[in-house]
Amino acid sequence: MAKNKTASQSVAFGQNISVKNANLWYGDFQAIKNISMEIPERQVTAFIGPSGCGKSTLLKCFNRMNDLVDGCRVEGEFRIGDADIYGKTDVNDLRRNVGMVFQKPNPFPMSVYDNIAYGPRTFGIRKRSELDHIVETSLKQAAMWEELKDRLNKSALGLSGGQQQRLCIARALAVAPKIILMDEPTSALDPISTGKIEELCDELTKSTTIVIVTHNMQQATRISHKTGFFLLGELVEFGNTDDIFTSPVDVRTERYITGRFG
Amino acid sequence: MTVHSTKTKEKIGKAVFAAAAIICVIAVVAIFAFLIYKSIPAFGKLGILEFMFGDHWSPDRLDTYDSPLSGTYGIFTMIVGTLAATSGALLIGGIVGYFTAVFLAFYCPARPKRILTSVIQVLAGIPSVVYGFFGIVFLLPMLSRIAPNNGSGLLATSIILGIMILPTVVSLSETGLEAVPRAYYEGSVAMGATHSETVFRIMTPAASSSITASLVLGIGRALGETMAVVMVAGNAPTYPNGLFGSFRVLTSNIVMEMGYAGEVQEGALVATGVVLLLFVLVVNLIFGAISGRKPGAVVGKRKERRLAKARCSRGIRIKDTIGALAHKLHAVKLGRGMAIGSGILTGAVLLLVIGFIFIKGLPYLLQNPSLIYGKYEFGSHNITILPAIVTTLYAVLISLLIAIPIGVMTAIFLNEYAKKENIFVRLIRSAIDILSGVPSIVYGLFGMITFVKIFGGSSNILAGALTVSIMLLPIVVRSTEESLKSVADAMREGSLALGAGKLRTIFKIVLPSALPGILSAIILSMGRVISESAPFLYTMGSVITAVPKGLFDSGATLAVALYQLSGEGWYMNQAYATAVVLIVIVLALNLLAQQCAARLGRKLKGETNGKK
Repeated sequence: MAKNKTASQSVAFGQNISVKNANLWYGDFQAIKNISMEIPERQVTAFIGPSGCGKSTLLKCFNRMNDLVDGCRVEGEFRIGDADIYGKTDVNDLRRNVGMVFQKPNPFPMSVYDNIAYGPRTFGIRKRSELDHIVETSLKQAAMWEELKDRLNKSALGLSGGQQQRLCIARALAVAPKIILMDEPTSALDPISTGKIEELCDELTKSTTIVIVTHNMQQATRISHKTGFFLLGELVEFGNTDDIFTSPVDVRTERYITGRFG
Repeated sequence: MTVHSTKTKEKIGKAVFAAAAIICVIAVVAIFAFLIYKSIPAFGKLGILEFMFGDHWSPDRLDTYDSPLSGTYGIFTMIVGTLAATSGALLIGGIVGYFTAVFLAFYCPARPKRILTSVIQVLAGIPSVVYGFFGIVFLLPMLSRIAPNNGSGLLATSIILGIMILPTVVSLSETGLEAVPRAYYEGSVAMGATHSETVFRIMTPAASSSITASLVLGIGRALGETMAVVMVAGNAPTYPNGLFGSFRVLTSNIVMEMGYAGEVQEGALVATGVVLLLFVLVVNLIFGAISGRKPGAVVGKRKERRLAKARCSRGIRIKDTIGALAHKLHAVKLGRGMAIGSGILTGAVLLLVIGFIFIKGLPYLLQNPSLIYGKYEFGSHNITILPAIVTTLYAVLISLLIAIPIGVMTAIFLNEYAKKENIFVRLIRSAIDILSGVPSIVYGLFGMITFVKIFGGSSNILAGALTVSIMLLPIVVRSTEESLKSVADAMREGSLALGAGKLRTIFKIVLPSALPGILSAIILSMGRVISESAPFLYTMGSVITAVPKGLFDSGATLAVALYQLSGEGWYMNQAYATAVVLIVIVLALNLLAQQCAARLGRKLKGETNGKK
């Protein structure tokens, strides 16, 4: 743990992501083909594209969750701020700074409080008062404090799907990440819960960078500043969301956003 | 892929888990090495062919490897006896088991099905000495009315072994039958076939590979069974002569003579163990080949085509040959009757075994409760099983202390670290497969020539517990791995994505979720230690004496005590009462294990305390 802390002090994770000539293979299958992009800090960047286009795969490169996949091979340069994340970075330290929210809510089978305290405890915070403070601020940031403050000791599995997902966001916020990756965070939720999470994204850009993968193009237009359109492992077009949706340069982008395939 | 440097703590953790897994491999290698090492001189002195195919067994305990033989050592009668008893068991347990499975899968309403399923679980948990005891006190007297002798022999052995393999055959066959696609059923019924016709002409053929696998596993169980056979077979080293008459199997040969064997005799008994092990390994290989074939796509497709063809030809047959159909319907009706009858029979058998022993034993136990807590006195007729209870507790405690950590860590290694199937992982997996197939008497043999020799030369609690802890490893590993597998990967990802390392993820997220499963592994292991007797006889002790004072004292566990009491014939009431105690403990553990499994299911489904 001590070693881990010194590591985190030595590497400066910024809030912008810079990708150069990224390629990724699952075994023989190339899922990402020579992608380069600059994701700005403290904005919402949306990744759109049909299923299997590589958008989730690219997202998972930013916190190296692809390491868990057998036969996955990554090439190219990925930088978060100045830190080369496939270089000498400690992977746990990286994931502390680059949080992630998954497609399906995955609260741990423990209390609401313990779910949120899990991250801070991982990084050595043991004092109850400190943890209390973190739990409260994280839940407030996720706009859940009022609904959950009396249920902190209840099992997180008893929450509704939408609440569970926002709890997972609060859980990610508890370790004060510089970036949060969201992999289709609302695809399993109802419209009202979706609305709450979209509001939350907007709120969070005050302090964090958000990269969100979404199947829902309206969602991308509603919440993102930048949008990248992916197709068959390539980044077809990347620019301001307004530009992508009103005057796309590439014909494939235009066909996708007007609903002609995908 | 790993560009970054992993933390030392993680490395040490992985190394520890891998080390536990290696212990399983070492155990297998050690068992084979020691048995072969010990039997080579015997094979050399006696000659492999003479030993295997000689049909005369009259050892002389004064034989040594340096002097000329005065005894004869041929085990062919026992090989024949083993094959005969196994075939008999298969005939009885296989048929009843198969039809019971059909009954459960296709004829039984939901409520009785739940009851019958737990009946079968209970049958699986009853200690083999209790079956043997039931054989002595119920079956043999019944058979003696029609037998020229006291009833012992091939028939009694086959019936007892048949009952013992029932649970294996039923549960595995039923799983296979339930897995047959519903569409087959609908396809057949839609063509006008009746329920029973569909069951016996479409559904059971479609599940034939799992049914065969269940029978093969049953054969393995029957081959390796020791104590129950010893108690009803008669045990004279002769060929089985008809349905009645004393005969001996390979396992009982070891139990009968290991206690007082001379030098060459001991070698010959270990060699008997090696032959037995070979038999079991062959059966396991067959089982692996059958059950491994199941998911094979090619065979599956071929089978599907055959079934499709069968369905088509059924249609034609139904239209064309009404006479033949009437004949077939008759057979199918018979099948239906067999299924229902077998289902009822299986339930009745359990009722009979438990009921008979309780009726005979419970009143005595209630009138003489001092049987349980009385003080042991040498030479007294006031039998007490307190020493046996204490010995059993020692055995359970120590063997679990060894087997649970090693087993759980091996399971963690296999499930959390060894995602890729490399040679090392395959080695560990096959080691565990082999361990689970080794007959318990072979563990006893191994413990006797290793642990007993190491710890002072005579049987003692530590040696017995070590022996049994190896036997527990496969149970713990498999049951733990199952429960680790049922923890969703999303949990692991959630933890890793927060920056937690692998060790923290395992200990804080995965293991707590898998805890009920691990708990049921612990309970299963406890049940196994309490039920086993063959591996304890010559490692931990076989004589009911005073309460053991330490790990290097010897002692008989409850199951071994039951074997001794029932064998002597002097203390039958006490034996009944001991059997009652054993059954109660095993039933309680069984119930507890089911509760744990249910809790694991609920926990993973998101059981809540605050749901609105």
